[in-house]
Amino acid sequence: MINKMELKFSASLSNEVLARQAVIAFISPLDPSLEQIGEIKTIIAEGVSNAIIHGYELDASKDVFLKAIIDGEDLELTITDYGKGIENLEEARKPHYTTRPDLERAGMGLTIMETLSDSFAIKTLPGMGCKLVIKKKITHESVAYGTVSR
Amino acid sequence: MENKIKFTAFDEGLVIKISGELDSMKTMTYRDKIHREMIKLGPRMLLFDFKDLQFIDSSGIGLILGRFNEIDKIGGVVGITGLNDYSRKIFQITGILQIIEEYQSTAQFKKKARINL
Ligand SMILES: Nc1ncnc2c1ncn2[C@@H]1O[C@H](COP(=O)(O)OP(=O)(O)O)[C@@H](O)[C@H]1O
Ligand SMILES: [Mg+2]
Repeated sequence: MINKMELKFSASLSNEVLARQAVIAFISPLDPSLEQIGEIKTIIAEGVSNAIIHGYELDASKDVFLKAIIDGEDLELTITDYGKGIENLEEARKPHYTTRPDLERAGMGLTIMETLSDSFAIKTLPGMGCKLVIKKKITHESVAYGTVSR
Repeated sequence: MENKIKFTAFDEGLVIKISGELDSMKTMTYRDKIHREMIKLGPRMLLFDFKDLQFIDSSGIGLILGRFNEIDKIGGVVGITGLNDYSRKIFQITGILQIIEEYQSTAQFKKKARINL
């Protein structure tokens, strides 16, 4: 069965928790492990905070869009902003690269998202925005942490 | 679990225990709190205790690295303790464990950090 949800919220960092909790509640029927919940929260936090901080430069009059689709064990997340986009994507994807060292950003968001997901795609155009499509399987067999499988 | 930050001072050191969720918002308020505490105590040893941490992202990593740079400048020692499988994975991805040592416990840090000073 395919199940879908969509969320649109103001580009304020105070809404990041809403984005995280909404998706966690949405996938709870799949009975994800604590590690999977943590990883999905981190993926969403990185994507949403990038949209708010970099895409919209903290302009809360703008909107961030979050979509989640579950198809069996497959979770697909789409995070979209219509902000300033990424000028040089190759540069931006490098670990430790950040355009906001003043905010003590670590430049690791894109690297973390890519590592934690099974597939990770970025579509961006300067001045047009940024769209992330992230896929992650919610399986119990993948005993990634040596925990007991159910 | 409640999101909170707790400070415990010892000799020349400071233990910073962060519980619950450490997101971009919390990072900003905690940065100010840590800053004030460090000004007040001037620690040379700093331990981050993440035993009750449920969520962290790269903004939290930035917070730790920022404090590491400050302590490193004065020849001090920074450590991390209490990582679970999830948080250790995030730390490993970012390479932070290559520059900040992980300790088994607060007691072990107090013992070992002094030697590394
Ligand atoms: N949604 C976005 N809109 C515009 N620029 C972005 C977006 N996401 C990422 N970037 C750019 O890519 C860089 C790297 O992102 P990231 O790896 O998350 O590091 P950080 O957020 O710590 O800067 C950012 O500094 C920014 O310049
Ligand atoms: Mg980021």
